[in-house]
Amino acid sequence: MNEMIPVELVGFSHRSASSRARERLAALGVESVYARLRSVGFEEAVVLATCNRFEVYLGRPESSPGARRALSELEDMAGSELAEQAYLFSGPRAVRHLFEVAAGLDSLVVGETEIMGQVKGAYEAARALGMTGRTSNVLFQRALFVGKKVRNDTKISAGQTSVASVAVQLAHRIFGDLSQSSVLILGAGAMAELTATHLSSSKVMRLSIANRTWERAVELAGRFSARPLRWEDFPSALVEADIVVASTGSPEPIVTRAMVVELMRRRSGRSLFLIDIAMPRDVEESVHGLEHVYLYRLEDLEGIVADNLRNRGGEVERARALVHEKAAEFCAGDRREFAGQAAELRHSEAL
Amino acid sequence: MNPEIVLIKGTFAFYSVAALLALCYLFSKQERLSLWMLRLMGIGLALHLASFGFRLHAFWQIPENRFFLPINSFFGALSYLALAVAAVFFVIEREYRLGILGAFVLPWTAIGVGAAVIFADPAIAGLVPALQSYWINIHPMVLMTAYAAFGNAFGVGLALLIQEHQIKSRKPSELCYRLPSIEDLDNLNYKIIVAAFPTLTVGILMGGVWAYNAWGRFWGWDAKETWSLITALIYAGYLHMRFVKGLRGRKAVYVSMVGFASVLFTFVGVNFLSELHGYLSNE
Repeated sequence: MNEMIPVELVGFSHRSASSRARERLAALGVESVYARLRSVGFEEAVVLATCNRFEVYLGRPESSPGARRALSELEDMAGSELAEQAYLFSGPRAVRHLFEVAAGLDSLVVGETEIMGQVKGAYEAARALGMTGRTSNVLFQRALFVGKKVRNDTKISAGQTSVASVAVQLAHRIFGDLSQSSVLILGAGAMAELTATHLSSSKVMRLSIANRTWERAVELAGRFSARPLRWEDFPSALVEADIVVASTGSPEPIVTRAMVVELMRRRSGRSLFLIDIAMPRDVEESVHGLEHVYLYRLEDLEGIVADNLRNRGGEVERARALVHEKAAEFCAGDRREFAGQAAELRHSEAL
Repeated sequence: MNPEIVLIKGTFAFYSVAALLALCYLFSKQERLSLWMLRLMGIGLALHLASFGFRLHAFWQIPENRFFLPINSFFGALSYLALAVAAVFFVIEREYRLGILGAFVLPWTAIGVGAAVIFADPAIAGLVPALQSYWINIHPMVLMTAYAAFGNAFGVGLALLIQEHQIKSRKPSELCYRLPSIEDLDNLNYKIIVAAFPTLTVGILMGGVWAYNAWGRFWGWDAKETWSLITALIYAGYLHMRFVKGLRGRKAVYVSMVGFASVLFTFVGVNFLSELHGYLSNE
């Protein structure tokens, strides 16, 4: 006897489908998808729609038209051929896939935590529409549990993996909470903007942006409710800055050792965090030797990012193993449960 | 068997395991470790207090000792000091929730009680007439509470040195993300010393008053007196440099660590030099 978990899945993700196909599916609207599925005879279905995936989990396939039918309904609604970009799984393979999705293993940014909320939201929406049943209830609750467990037991969600976020994390290790720290950004390029985005989400006390082109400084400052500075004013603004992000296109260092020695004398021992992401360098290398001065260059930050990614790499394998173990456990446990349920059903039919 | 000794050995065991858990917590994110560290410390503290209760009871069996605290022996002093370190740690923990600092502070409690159990004589003796004064309930307690606070500051300073080194290295390890920030550690170190320094000063002045009552002189350059003055001067130097010169971070911690070395010497080393404050000779 080959009993299967009564689950089927038809899905499209950033791995299998073009972004155009995913956009088309997202545009269908989850509620009209549910309405269509119900109208053709599906009783149990959960639609998980995020910007990187569109998946339909189907319960009780023995009494429903099946995943192929669901796919052709989706094609019909979207008005285009999608079969080549879809994946269809059933039984344990579908269970394992859902668990991997919930654990963030199938996400574009591996280990991201947002997907948990999206899985939960999808399940709750289906339940509100009366489209869940015994299979989907147990399955989705278990998926959320596994997603949480994987994040607790492994480090897939730990360790920042971008230069800007590592810089902000280090700033926290120097100053603690950044609400008393003021930030000075020199230059208004893409890197400066990215770092400003991360820092302003940490709620710093003050953010100032100095740029050689005044208009660009004003424009960027406007986006982060920061204070624009004229280029010639930046040396005097340095004294009150705790965190300096330098990313100008200057061919020579603009922050010299002499400047830093002078300003440290006036900072009475408060730390200074210099982030130099410019090439060629904006800050003279030797300032790192000064007391209370911490200079991180682009390659230092990239080194930390690489380490974090490497650590995460091993963790991804561990997380995947854990997910597979939990999926197998679930399938073994539920095979008995569903066999019992089936026997119960036959029993009640006999009555 | 003497219940006081059984209890103090139990205390030693609990403090030691708690300190060990604190060290493990430094390298592992398991929140359970921190939780159990606090629980075991709590149990240790309770056993410690119970042991102290038995000691007090036995101590008061000697009529001339009645209502004085049993702190006239090295055993009693060490035991009280460890108790105070644990208590100050709990106060700081309550305020700042920095379970991670346990790794730098709790070993001192285990060492203090361990030294008492292993090296010191727990025997109880009558107080010599010079010590039969209410000052014995105040003067040593105040000073040792200050010492305990300095012990906590030492732990915070150690954490700061590690964190500073981590960030200067440009290759921060996992530890960097577990420890509090440089500025927070620096401020905490300073706050503890700011509170402990006046306590130390008041304790020394009380000793002067007691000495005046007992021996008719305020200050006699006894080794303990001299070294406690040196300790106070070092910490005064720390505060001066911090206030006036803005000295912070690594170098400030070095000064405070010299201060703590002086505390240790005043507490332990001087007993071999001092005639008036010798716990070992119990005179």
